[in-house]
This record gives sequence, C-alpha cells and structure tokens, in this order.
Amino acid sequence: MDMFFASAIEFGVIFLFGCVGEILTEKSGHLNLGIPGIMCVGAAGGCFGAKLCLAAENPSGVLTVFVAILFAMLFACALGGIYGVLTVSLRCNQNVTGLACTIFGVGFTSFFLNNVVLKGDASAKLSRAGLRYFNAGIPGADKLGWFGTVFLDHGILVYLAVVIAILAALLLRYTKTGLNLRAVGEDPAAADAVGIKVNAYKYAFVLIGAAVAGLGGLSYIMGYMNGIVDATVDQTIQGIGWLSIALVIFTMWKPGLAIPGSILFGALYILSTKIAGISFVQARLLELIPYAVTIVVLIVTSIAGRRETQPPASLGLPYFREDR
Amino acid sequence: MGRIKEPLIRITRREDMPWWKSMLIRLGAVVAALCVSAAFISAAAPSSKGFFGYFGSLFSGTFGTERRIWMLLQNTALLLMVAVALVVAFKMRFWNLGGNGQVLMGCLASAVCMFYLGGKLPDPVVWLLMFVSGVLAGAVWACIPALFKAFFNTNESLFTLMMNYIAVCLVAFFISLWYPEGTGAMPPLSDGALPSFGSGQMGRTLPIVLVAVVITAAIYCYLRFHKHGYELSVVSDSKNTAKYAGINVKKVIIRTMILSGALCGIVGFILVGSVNHMVSTTMDDNMGFTGIMVAWMGNFNPLIMAAVSLFIIFLSRGMAQVCTDFGYTSEALSDTVIGIIYFFFIGCEFFIRYKVHINRRKLMRIFHIKKGGKDGSEPEENQAPEISEAEPAPQEQDGRCEPECERAVPETKEEVS
Repeated sequence: MDMFFASAIEFGVIFLFGCVGEILTEKSGHLNLGIPGIMCVGAAGGCFGAKLCLAAENPSGVLTVFVAILFAMLFACALGGIYGVLTVSLRCNQNVTGLACTIFGVGFTSFFLNNVVLKGDASAKLSRAGLRYFNAGIPGADKLGWFGTVFLDHGILVYLAVVIAILAALLLRYTKTGLNLRAVGEDPAAADAVGIKVNAYKYAFVLIGAAVAGLGGLSYIMGYMNGIVDATVDQTIQGIGWLSIALVIFTMWKPGLAIPGSILFGALYILSTKIAGISFVQARLLELIPYAVTIVVLIVTSIAGRRETQPPASLGLPYFREDR
Repeated sequence: MGRIKEPLIRITRREDMPWWKSMLIRLGAVVAALCVSAAFISAAAPSSKGFFGYFGSLFSGTFGTERRIWMLLQNTALLLMVAVALVVAFKMRFWNLGGNGQVLMGCLASAVCMFYLGGKLPDPVVWLLMFVSGVLAGAVWACIPALFKAFFNTNESLFTLMMNYIAVCLVAFFISLWYPEGTGAMPPLSDGALPSFGSGQMGRTLPIVLVAVVITAAIYCYLRFHKHGYELSVVSDSKNTAKYAGINVKKVIIRTMILSGALCGIVGFILVGSVNHMVSTTMDDNMGFTGIMVAWMGNFNPLIMAAVSLFIIFLSRGMAQVCTDFGYTSEALSDTVIGIIYFFFIGCEFFIRYKVHINRRKLMRIFHIKKGGKDGSEPEENQAPEISEAEPAPQEQDGRCEPECERAVPETKEEVS
C-alpha cells in the first residue's frame, strides 16, 4: 500500500507539471492545446541533454540532472515559442495552433528519440541514470517506515514539481506580477489601458508554462519509467497531456489545488497496473477510469457553474489593440 | 509630432484581399514550409540524397507504382470523409476533437458485428448490420458530449478528447476479451468482409472514393442550400440571434453532432469492412486531428478540403519513402514535416487578415542614426523632415490617416473559439 501511494505521487507530478504549466498559460488568456506535444518535446529534449552528459567518461549525477532539466525546458520553450508567435503576435486561432503543436510535438518526439537519442548504448545509460540520478531519494528515507516510502523516497523532479506548484500559487495570489497576469487574462484591453505590457506578459507566461509542462515529459521518462524509453512513449505522454489540460478545470485554475488533484489522478491512472488479482481483461476496463472521472468532473463543474470555477474571461480570444 | 512615440510596425485589419491573392499567400507558405523541411532533412539525414532528391523521393513514394496511387486515393477519401464530418460541427463552432474516438467506435461496432455474426448470417445481412451499428456507434459517441454541451454548456473540446481515450480503452478491452492469449493484436477476420469490385487495390479503392465523393457533395449541398445549414451558421455567429429567430439551439447542436458522429461512424465501418477486416487501437490513424487541420486549412469548404486532404496524404505517404531513402528508421518524420507545414499555413493567415505597415521613416531614422554613429538623444525634429524628403513614404502616410478598423462582420474562421 505504501508503494502504491509512492507511485501515485510519482505519477501525479507528471500531471502536476502539465497542469501548472497550462494554468500559467491560461491565466494569460491562452488556451494551449499544444501541452501534450510540448510535454513530449520536453521529454525528448531532456533525454537528449542527459545523453550528452552521459557520453562523458565519468558522468556527474548532479550535472546530468541539471542539464536534462535545462534541455527539457529549452526544447519545450522552443515549441511554446512557436505557439506564442503564432497566437500572440500573429493572432491565429488558438485551438488550431495548439493542435498543430501537439501533432508536431508528438511526431517530432518519436522521430527524435528513435533517430537521435537512442543511438548506440544510450538506452542502457539512460535507464541507469534514471535509477541512480533521477530517482535518488533523500538519504535515510527507508529508515522512516511508511512515511519515508511515501513522502521522502522520491527523485528530485517530484520535489521540483511541488515547489513549482507552490511558487506558481504564490505568484498568482500575492504578487503584482500575478495580479497583472490575471488582469491580462481577464480583460487585455483594460490591462493595456493601465499600462501593462499585454504582449510581454502573454509571451512570458506562454513560455514559462511551456517550460514547466516540458518538465512533465521528462519526469515521465526519467522519473516514473526510470529512464526506460519504450516504443509508445509519445502516445502515453500525449494522453497524460490531455488529462493535464482537463485537470486545469478540475482544479479551478488554482496551482495549489493542483497538487492533491494531480496525485489523485496519478492514483487513478496507475490503478489498473497496481491492483493485484485482476485479469488482463479487467485491467483494460480499469484503464478508462481516469478519462471517465475527467468527464464526470467536466460535467459536474459545468452544472455547478459557480463564479470561481470559470476560466479567465478572455481565454482563447486573440487580443488586437485596434479592435477596441 | 516629434514627441509622439510612433511604433515601428503597425498592424491593421483588412477585409479586401482578392481570393487569388490569398491563395497565392497560402501556396507560398506551403512551398516555403516544404523547402524548410527539405533543407533540414537533406542536411541532417544519415544518408542524404540532397535537396532535390527529397522531392524525388516524395513523389516516387506517392506515385511510384499503381498500387501507391490507389492507396493515395483511398487514404485521401477516408481523410476527406472525416474532415467533412468534422466540418459540420465546426460550422457551428463546436470543437469536435473527438473524431478519432467516433471513427474508432464505428470500427469497433462494425467489428463486433463481424466477429459475432460473420459466417452465421448471410453476408448482405451482416454488412447491413455492420453499417447500421457502425453509424449508430459513431453517432452515440458524438451525441453524448453534444447533449451535455446543449444543456449544461460543458466544455466540448475536452469532453470529446476524453471520449477518444475511452474508445481506445474499449477497443483494447474487446480485443483482449476475444483473444485472451494474444498480444493485443487482432488477426483479420475472413467472414463478413465487404466485397471488392474488380481486382487488386483498385477494386477496394474505387467504392471508397465513390462514397467519399457522394458524402462530400451531399454535405456541401447540406451546408450551402439546406435550411439546416443556414441554421448552423446562424447558431455559430450568435446564439442569441438564433434564439430570437426561433431556432431551437439545443436541437441544432444535438442534431449536428449526431450527423457529424454518424459520418465518422461510416468511416469506421469502411475501415473495418473494406480496408482492414479487423480492429486495432490505432486504426483511426489520428484522422480526427488531421481532419480538423484539413477542415481549417480548407476554409470549411468541402471542395477545397478535398484538395487539402490529397496534399496531406501525399505528404504522409511520400514521407515514408523519404524515410527509407534517407536512412531514417522512424516513420514519425511525416508528422514532423506535416507539423511544420501546419505552422507555416497557420502563420500565413495573419498576412491575409491583417495589413502590416512598417513605419519607413522610423526605420530610416534607426539606420541613419546607426550609420552616423550619433546617439539616440538627437532631437527628432531635425531628422524627420530630412528623411521624409529623401524617401517619400506614401503607404505609411495614408496608412496613418485610416480610421481605426472597426470589428467588422466576423469571418468564419478567426472568431471560432
């Protein structure tokens, strides 16, 4: 049971990265349906960065993790940047642009992983690095019984996710930047009128959101899968990405609530693989639980329809100053 | 004058671009995208055949043999049908991202009929049942999100997305139920397969193309001339106007989505009955997403969409050949290149819908200051007239006098959200 909760947390942070990234993007008024693709690209970039470090004679663990995180964010930012240019500057339709990002990102990841990253003995090295560097728990965690197993025996990415979620929550709630960001998302014309640089905010948070989401892909491969890159990794991350976007509605655009929400979804997602004594056929049915729960959540939030559960008012609308 | 900070680049809306000019811009974007991808691939490939070899492989992969041409037509027809199915919903600004799931459910329902009834009933009866159940399954899969959208305004794009994954899980469930010892793959069934007319690939392809042509024409007329099509465009422009005009918005949403899903179901039926004779979790081939891009790139016009889907399938089939010729092991290259084309195509819409005025005077001033090595604090009054004499900027002059562009009649595309 301890192991189940530990895995749920480990899987949940993938959702958490994606969800917080999407919240930050949506708060600037941009519905980024490219998050699944961006997460994929982040995974590809992270693996590439790790591979570069591991090619050295005596790879350093800290450096590997650092470079992997940096590359994941860089790759994700590159795709987020394309999305940003198309939707912020060129004011294209956000849904279509997002879908294009997803199609591109998923295809690119599969291509890049197979043709560039996994050449030579990289896959063995990556899985060793995944176990040793990315999943190195806090020393002494195994002496603390169930508490240690559930909360302390995780890799760095898990704690990074929680820290980023808390920082995002504080940023949105208590800082001037957060206030301005919310203003941009609610009513860009009004924000523009008081002198907030609307496009700068939009670009900044589309990029930051993409970078955070990109870490989600990295934490799937390096964190949850222990560095093992299987053939369907792009499809799996794509599914996780869509769930993360849905999770944003579930958490009512609050990064703080996203922490328990993603762990819950992590538990639901891994349920089918962790329950003992069910047949292969029943496991197939259990796999649809997270999606079914998401649908129920969507329905419930839409029926309840309270004011706090509404998306930013100008979500999905391009802002053109001369339209005023 | 000098005190006012003028922006270097100013953007205004435009409504007046002739259609041939906008087509030229789009064509230019696609050509540019192809050249960019060709340059990248021929530079980075393990066994490159050069920039022009790329295009050679692209064409030989699509038109190299007779079978390839028929495959091209078949896939185009299937993609076009999905895109046409989705366009019905998009006309209403209903973001049906569930094309994959609806196709897959059509596949699954047809396959269930085939599995349980094939060989036990006469073939024509099985075909009829396959068709009916496939269409019904697709329609139901689209109807569920539509009901909730109509009554509770539930977010339809995420709802339909989740329905995709539920469809995938159901297909996986049935396959593992039927073949518990298998590897999750299903062998092709022999009973109940649709007959092929004539021999080879041609016999399979021709009926599919025929169905696609009929459906496309029918939907074109439905959207263009039928009362329902008119109601759709009213609902998409303004729900309140529609209500005021006595249109039952809920009914329109549900009816349209049922039509959209049913058409996807037909595609599923064809995929199982005629093409594959079995079902797998990836049989939708992501046509739901590609169909959205086709619908959008084709400007929601079924006739242009036919050309766009031909182009997309041409690329994806040609790219498979490029992969083998250039020494790549992964087929995913086609998605990457098609993604690049999407980006260029989406980006070029901007230049069709907006006019970019570059403040030539300011541009000149920037260069002038740089050339002269003077600092930026130079009084601007001295600089400005000098430049404007040297370089009259007529476009910029009359551009500034233009009235602010009011939000005109929304175009079909850009206001969809």
